[in-house]
Amino acid sequence: MRKKKLTALLLAGVMAISAALTGCGSGTSDDASGSDQSSEGGNGERKKITALLRCSETSAKYIILKKLLTEFSEEKGLEEPEFELVNGDADYVTKLQLYINSNSLPDIYGCANGALSAAAKDIDSMINVGDELERIGMKDDMNGALYDFFTDADDGNVYLFPESLNCEFFFYRKDIFDKYNLEAPKNWDEFLEVCKTLKEKGEIPLVVAGKENWQLMRYLSFAPWRMTKDGFIKGYMDGTETFSDNVAAKSGAELLYTLGTEEYFQGGFLSTDYTAATDLFFGGTGCMWYSGSGQITQASEMYEAGELGFFAVPDVKGEDNMDTNVPIHGGFGTAFNAQTYDDTMKECFQYICENYSEACYKEAKVFSPFNDEMPEGLDSLFYDLYPMFETATDAWVSWDDKLDSATLTSLVDEQQKLAQGSETPEEFEKVADSLITK
Amino acid sequence: MQKAFGRKKVIFMFLAPALIVYIFFVVVSVVWAGYYSFFDWSGVGEKTFIWFQNYIQLMQDRIFWSTVGHTLAYTVICVLIQVFGGLLFAIFLTRLTKGRALLQTLYYVPVVISSVAVCQIFGKLLSVTPTGVINAFLSLFNADLAMMEWISNGEVALYVAAFVEGYKYLGLYMVIFYAALIGVPKDLEEAAIVDGANVVQQFWRVKIPYIKPVIISNCILVLNGSLRSFDISYLLTKGGPGNASELMSTYMYKQAFSSMKYGYGSAIAMVIVIICMAVGFTFRRVTERGEKV
Repeated sequence: MRKKKLTALLLAGVMAISAALTGCGSGTSDDASGSDQSSEGGNGERKKITALLRCSETSAKYIILKKLLTEFSEEKGLEEPEFELVNGDADYVTKLQLYINSNSLPDIYGCANGALSAAAKDIDSMINVGDELERIGMKDDMNGALYDFFTDADDGNVYLFPESLNCEFFFYRKDIFDKYNLEAPKNWDEFLEVCKTLKEKGEIPLVVAGKENWQLMRYLSFAPWRMTKDGFIKGYMDGTETFSDNVAAKSGAELLYTLGTEEYFQGGFLSTDYTAATDLFFGGTGCMWYSGSGQITQASEMYEAGELGFFAVPDVKGEDNMDTNVPIHGGFGTAFNAQTYDDTMKECFQYICENYSEACYKEAKVFSPFNDEMPEGLDSLFYDLYPMFETATDAWVSWDDKLDSATLTSLVDEQQKLAQGSETPEEFEKVADSLITK
Repeated sequence: MQKAFGRKKVIFMFLAPALIVYIFFVVVSVVWAGYYSFFDWSGVGEKTFIWFQNYIQLMQDRIFWSTVGHTLAYTVICVLIQVFGGLLFAIFLTRLTKGRALLQTLYYVPVVISSVAVCQIFGKLLSVTPTGVINAFLSLFNADLAMMEWISNGEVALYVAAFVEGYKYLGLYMVIFYAALIGVPKDLEEAAIVDGANVVQQFWRVKIPYIKPVIISNCILVLNGSLRSFDISYLLTKGGPGNASELMSTYMYKQAFSSMKYGYGSAIAMVIVIICMAVGFTFRRVTERGEKV
């Protein structure tokens, strides 16, 4: 009896220890070559390609990469590519941190320019996309503004591959504008005048997804971008520029405050998310909506019916504005893991680049980051929008990427207060300036 | 058999699995959070040991202290709705003779629905553009109320979030109270009737004092749950607008995972643990004193 008890106890102990060791096994590894080996077979040969993406199954990025990686894997006799999709921003960041800390990043992963890309570079988990594009002779084929968007501020290299070419602009209801004899505004003064007229006529001038951090931040950053490109935001981060002293930044704060407090946004705008705002605008509510090429599919029907028009980001009146007035960016970048970048992955990179445009236009219905000719038969918005950014060389400067996470989080809270009028532009500027320690 | 259950070894054998799980998932986590709270760390890369800097910064952080106030107000509302609302609903249920099971099930439904779904439902109900059901109803009395902001209004967002949390878990505490109330011995009730007590007196003088331990237990459960409440507030208002409905836990999450200040987030987590323990301990002492008297 006693022997039996002892044996049972011993077995239980062994089980507990092995469970604990299994858990520990997935923890941090200091081994520099400790990347995920699941994509390799026992003899070191690659079995499949793995990818971690911040998107859902309906996102352009997934649609494009799923098609290309599946086709490539079939061609090379590999197993089906393995995708791990995480939709939420914070969840994705946590997941990526985990992979970086344990040095087990997949072959392909989504990454934003900033602290995480720097950390991934530190563990040698990012290939130089610029060099690779040069190797396959496609560097000059990529849109100049997009290449500029992903250029690393520290060393001038490009480590991220664009998801697609995204251009942003305002959609407006042509039928409503015609009804009140209004024209698409060229500068922000005209923009506010249009909003005022529409408000007086009982319309909702502007739809905004105030629950999304980036939407309100666009209004803060339009003027600094048109006037200084990245001059203000870089200076702000360095502590050499302040909201209180910079004319462009003050103009941005004033604009957001006016739009919010004059009730030019729809009621309850701070609780409207992007999907709800999209549904509102394309469902017939509101007269203007800041959106982009990612919504061509939703906009096409109204556009073909002559109900929709579009205009670029207005100028700041009386100031020097840069020529590019359409924010162009490559979305959430994609990195290729340098530690698993073997010959197969090199071939895969080339295959992706060579077939990216076709997948963009035919499958995902988005603009390609490469300057390839657009196929026939697309929605007419594609052809009408193209001249807006065809010759653009300056990219959009995304504050979400430039600001460090802590400043960004605080600024997001403050911009909500500003838009709601619970903080004046002067108070906002003071708080925003205090977020940066010189 | 009874003798075996009295043995210390046997008691320990039954308690050990839960204790081990608790130590692994709670105690170890708290200790680790305490360790990280002494570092300046972004979640990736090198950690810098900074002694008590995070705690010093926390003491001077006015947003954190406003979240403490918000959390206390949130807790009071949750206790009122979940404990006293739950008790009231349970009393009504005991008075019903028909349709009790149906009502009990209906009240319990929000408990089993996920927080995400509950917040989505309330988001639509309280919507301003397009006008949600609540505002459409209120506008029948006053047209201006069609534009009443609930979730995005800094003055009411916290109370709306607390109400939704209270609503979600009210059914749970109602069921516990109902079970306690029907467990009150019939002879006590009959004795009260013989003494001439009316229905209100039967509840106030006999049944409620009898279930006092259950009330206290529920209070502690709600207190603890509300003090570290996260999901409803985060999903419904994201702590906004600004920091108007920010709770300690959502602030901790934002600092750790959005601002990527893991050390500072851990320091906030440690203070939350201390506050939870202090409130729970104080409440326990106060109620124990009441029991002795």
